[in-house]
Amino acid sequence: MRYIYHAMKLNLKSIAQYRASFLMQNIAQFVMVGGEFLAVVVLMTRFTALGQWRAEEIMFFWGVMQLTFALCECLGRGISTFAGYVGSGDFDTILLRPRPLMQQVIGHRLDPRRLGGMIVGGGAIALSCVRLGITWTADKLVLTLLAAAGGFFLILGLFLIEATVSFFSVRSIEMVNVLTYGGRSTCQYPVDVYPRPLRILFTWVAPFALSMHLPISHVLGKPLFDVPMAVVWLAPLAGPLFFLLMTRVWYIGVKHYRSTGT
Amino acid sequence: MRNKLRPYLTAFRVRALLETQYRGAALGGLITQAFFGLVYAYLYTAFFNGSDPAAQKATVTYVWLQQMFFRALFMSDGEMNNQIMTGSLAYVLCRPVDQHLYWISRNLAAQFVGVAMRAAPMLLLQLVVPQEVRMALPASPLAFAQFALSLLLGVFCVSQIHAIGLAFTMKTLDHRGLSSMLSLLLMTFSGNVVPLTLFPEGLQRLIRYQPFAQVLDAPIRMYQSGQPMDEWLLNLAVQLCWIAALWALGRWLWARQLRHVTIQGG
Repeated sequence: MRYIYHAMKLNLKSIAQYRASFLMQNIAQFVMVGGEFLAVVVLMTRFTALGQWRAEEIMFFWGVMQLTFALCECLGRGISTFAGYVGSGDFDTILLRPRPLMQQVIGHRLDPRRLGGMIVGGGAIALSCVRLGITWTADKLVLTLLAAAGGFFLILGLFLIEATVSFFSVRSIEMVNVLTYGGRSTCQYPVDVYPRPLRILFTWVAPFALSMHLPISHVLGKPLFDVPMAVVWLAPLAGPLFFLLMTRVWYIGVKHYRSTGT
Repeated sequence: MRNKLRPYLTAFRVRALLETQYRGAALGGLITQAFFGLVYAYLYTAFFNGSDPAAQKATVTYVWLQQMFFRALFMSDGEMNNQIMTGSLAYVLCRPVDQHLYWISRNLAAQFVGVAMRAAPMLLLQLVVPQEVRMALPASPLAFAQFALSLLLGVFCVSQIHAIGLAFTMKTLDHRGLSSMLSLLLMTFSGNVVPLTLFPEGLQRLIRYQPFAQVLDAPIRMYQSGQPMDEWLLNLAVQLCWIAALWALGRWLWARQLRHVTIQGG
C-alpha cells in the first residue's frame, strides 16, 4: 500500500509538469461523459420510466456507474493499459524490481484526466438526489459508498481479465473489451430491465447486480431482490472477491509470460 | 482519363486486398457488436415495454443496423496517424500523386471491405437471435435499394470527415485528442449512442440533416420506411451536398497543410 501511495505521488508530479495539456484533457473527458449524460436525458424524456424505475432513479444508477468507472480508469490505469506493457516489453522492467508485482502494475500509471468523468457522474447523483428528495441517513450513505467500492474492485477485476488474456494473445483485446466497456454500458441501468440470460451473467459471472445494483436499490427504497438485509450489506463484497480471484488468475498468467524481447 | 485514374484504382485494390487479411480483428469486432446489439435491443424493448410495438420493432431494427455497420463509423487510419507522428509522412509525400485523392481511395477500400466483412456474419446472427429482439426486414424491395445506395454514400461521407480530421493532425502532429473528439461526435450524431429517431420531435429536422447523420442514420431511415420519391430525392440531395462540401473542405485543408507540412524526426 505504501508503495502504491509513493508511486502515485510520483505519477502526479510527472503529470503536473504538463498543466495545460492536463486541463485540456480533463475538459475533453468532461464533454465526453457529459454527452453520454445528455443521451440518457434524451432517453428519459422520451420514455419517462424504465421498468419500475423513474427517470431520476435511473440517473442515480447511471451516476454511480460513471463515477466508479472513471475512478477505476484513473487509479487502475496501470491495469487497464497492461496489455500495452506486455506488447512493448515494459513488463520486463517491472519483473526485475524487487517489489510485489501487482502493486507495481497498479502504481505504474495514474490518469487524473478522468476527473472530468467523475464530476459528471457525481453531478448526476447529486441532481437525482435533489429531485428524488432522498433523506440521507447513515445506512443509506454507507450503502452507496459500499456500492461504489464494490463496483470499483469488480471493474478492476474485469480489467485484470484483459490483462491476463494479453499474456496469451497479443491481438484479441478488442474482444475482451466487451467485459469492461460492455459491462459499463449494460449495467449503468439496473439489471432487472434485462432478460434472464443477461441477468444471470451480470449477477453471478460479473456481479454488478450484487455489488452495485442491490445496495443502490435499497438506497432508493425499491429492493431489487427479495433477500434479508444482512445479504444486502454483504453483497458488495462480491466486487473485492472477484478482484482477488482475478489477481490469482493473473499471477498464473505471469508464470506463462514470455518476453517480447527488447 | 483512365490512365490518370490508374494509381488511385490500384491503391484502392491493394488496400482492399490488405483489409481482407484482418480477419482476426473482424472476428473480435463481431463479438463486441453482437453483444452491444443484443444489449441495446433488450434495453429498448424494456424502455418501450410493449407500449408501441411498431416503434419498438423500428428501434430494435435501428440499433441492429447501427451495430451491423458500426465499422463505417470506425475512423482510425492508424497508419496515417503513425506516419504523421513518426515523420515517415515524408516518404508518402514523395509519390507523384494527388495526395488527398490517393488517401481517399485507400480509405474507401478499407472502409468498404471492413464493413462488408463485419456486416455479413452479423446478418447471419439474426437467424439465431430470439424473435422479440430480431431486426425487421426492409419495408419493401424499393426501401432496400434506397438503403443500399444511401449506405454507399454514407461511407463516402465518413471518409471525407476522416480526411478533414487528418488535416488537423498534420498540424498538431498528435492525433489522440482530436481523434477521440471526432469519433465521439460521429458516434453520437450518427445515432449509434441513442437512435436519432428517439430525439424530441422538434429537434428531428435539425438533427437528421447534419453531416454525421448522413453516414448511418439516413440509410437506416430509408430501410425502415421506404420513402416516397420526393422525400427520397431530398435525402439523397442532402447526402450528396454534404459529401461535396466536406470533400471540398478536405481538399482545401490538405492543400494548405501539405504546403508547409511539419515532418517529425530526423
